[in-house]
Amino acid sequence: MSTPAAMPDRTSDAAMSRRSFLRGCAAFGGLTALAASLAPLRELGDYTSTEQFLQKYYKELTPDDMTKVIARIEGEVQRQYGVRPHVRDLRPMDGVEFVYCLNLTRCIGCRKCVHACVAENNQSRSPEIQYIRVLKMPHGSMDVEKGNHNYDDKQVPEKGFFYMPIQCQQCKNPPCVKVCPVNATWQEKDGITVIDYDWCIGCRYCEAACPYWARRFNFTKPQIPKERINPNMAYLGNRPRKQGVMEKCHFCIQRTRDGRYPACLEVCPVGARKFGNILDPESEVSYILREKRVFIQLKEEMGTSPRFFYYFDK
Amino acid sequence: MEPLRARESASSGSRTNLWLAGLTFGFLGLGAFFLATATGHPSPRANIPLVDPKFLATTPWRETYADLVKAKEDLSDYDCYGCHEKNKPPPIRYDEAHKIIVPKEHSDIVMGHGNHDRNNLCYNCHNEQNLVTLQVRDGREVTFDNIPPLCGSCHGPTLRDWEAGAHGRTSGYWNRSLGDIRRLSCANCHNPHAPRIPTREPAPGPHQLRAAAESHHPED
Repeated sequence: MSTPAAMPDRTSDAAMSRRSFLRGCAAFGGLTALAASLAPLRELGDYTSTEQFLQKYYKELTPDDMTKVIARIEGEVQRQYGVRPHVRDLRPMDGVEFVYCLNLTRCIGCRKCVHACVAENNQSRSPEIQYIRVLKMPHGSMDVEKGNHNYDDKQVPEKGFFYMPIQCQQCKNPPCVKVCPVNATWQEKDGITVIDYDWCIGCRYCEAACPYWARRFNFTKPQIPKERINPNMAYLGNRPRKQGVMEKCHFCIQRTRDGRYPACLEVCPVGARKFGNILDPESEVSYILREKRVFIQLKEEMGTSPRFFYYFDK
Repeated sequence: MEPLRARESASSGSRTNLWLAGLTFGFLGLGAFFLATATGHPSPRANIPLVDPKFLATTPWRETYADLVKAKEDLSDYDCYGCHEKNKPPPIRYDEAHKIIVPKEHSDIVMGHGNHDRNNLCYNCHNEQNLVTLQVRDGREVTFDNIPPLCGSCHGPTLRDWEAGAHGRTSGYWNRSLGDIRRLSCANCHNPHAPRIPTREPAPGPHQLRAAAESHHPED
């Protein structure tokens, strides 16, 4: 170090006094500390863009605005994942209210629905986000607290257990919608509770309010390999989410509002999953609710009135 | 007391220098550390393996006669009179426990239809007069490509559910005005000789710390 040894040496003609040198060092430390604390802002680029920041609320978007928004989203997805997606803004159909029925007699707990859902809905692979949770439950109880979703049996189903997949129940009286402070989630007229990922502020109130553990939060930027991106996307559906927003099952809006069955239903190897329009008396779900032993709406006592029904064959 | 104070003031100059040098190094070190953090990269994520695509397949478990015809595949298994003689129903033999003895030419058949081996007569379903067809107990003849009426002759409620779309797999369009629904036949999922769905390997569960999982869900 170049600090002079003598204490009273206060030569004004020195190029740099000890005090100003020390001050310089402290200023350097302070500035770098400031730079480090601001460093996360460098990732703001893929967190939000000016267009997204200035974007209007979903329900206030004119068709022209929506065209621009969709072009922006398609550009962002292509830039980030290298795949050109086809994004649509699908609106609910008239005279349609969706209902899901799940046959607990049939479900074998193979978890294929979980992974078909992940693939269809562009969920993050690392960290893992999954909308469906398959509970392995001992016979003789409907207490979900006794369920285990981490079972790693070599073969399923195991004797003495039944399997109960849980996902968003698309409640008629959704607690998650009530608690949202910014109206980023709402129930549409076909019964699907949707999230506008561009409006969500990530407060996670909805996650706390949901009695079915159905909502998932993006703690980090989702990671999806390019070859596993599903390019058929919907604005309120499976377009890739960003860090800091909520997501959940939306009955595969990009499929069901197109008239198709959800992905979890098509992959189910035992046909335990049934989906359709409850307002159509000829639909499978109408038949099931009319004829079968529909056992529960999960946590019925909550008064949430789910559109997801569990039933038995015998 | 005097000598001590004198010694202190004499060494105080070098001690201050030591302090100042330490501070300088401290500031510079902190600066370097902060700079490194500002330009550094976040630690890599846990490497979660992608799920095997076999768990994403929507293909049915089994191929039926109708599928084989459609795909123009080998139908020799259904050419009964390649080996059997016409108008001569093959005899059925039983062991002492009244269990059917499956001939070695048909050793791929596992008899497991119904509990207690009660359904152990081939001609409950196969037509002994014409082996290339099947028969319902009321005498109706049923072809191999349209078996639901045969299965439904015993499993009535299941057939009713299947016809309403409530039993069995579906794919395609729930909205019939926009597209077709695809239904599967009984034998696409069930082996007619042993219809119970066999156990299979589940897809991997949620990736997480196993220790946390075990403490939350003790197996009891």
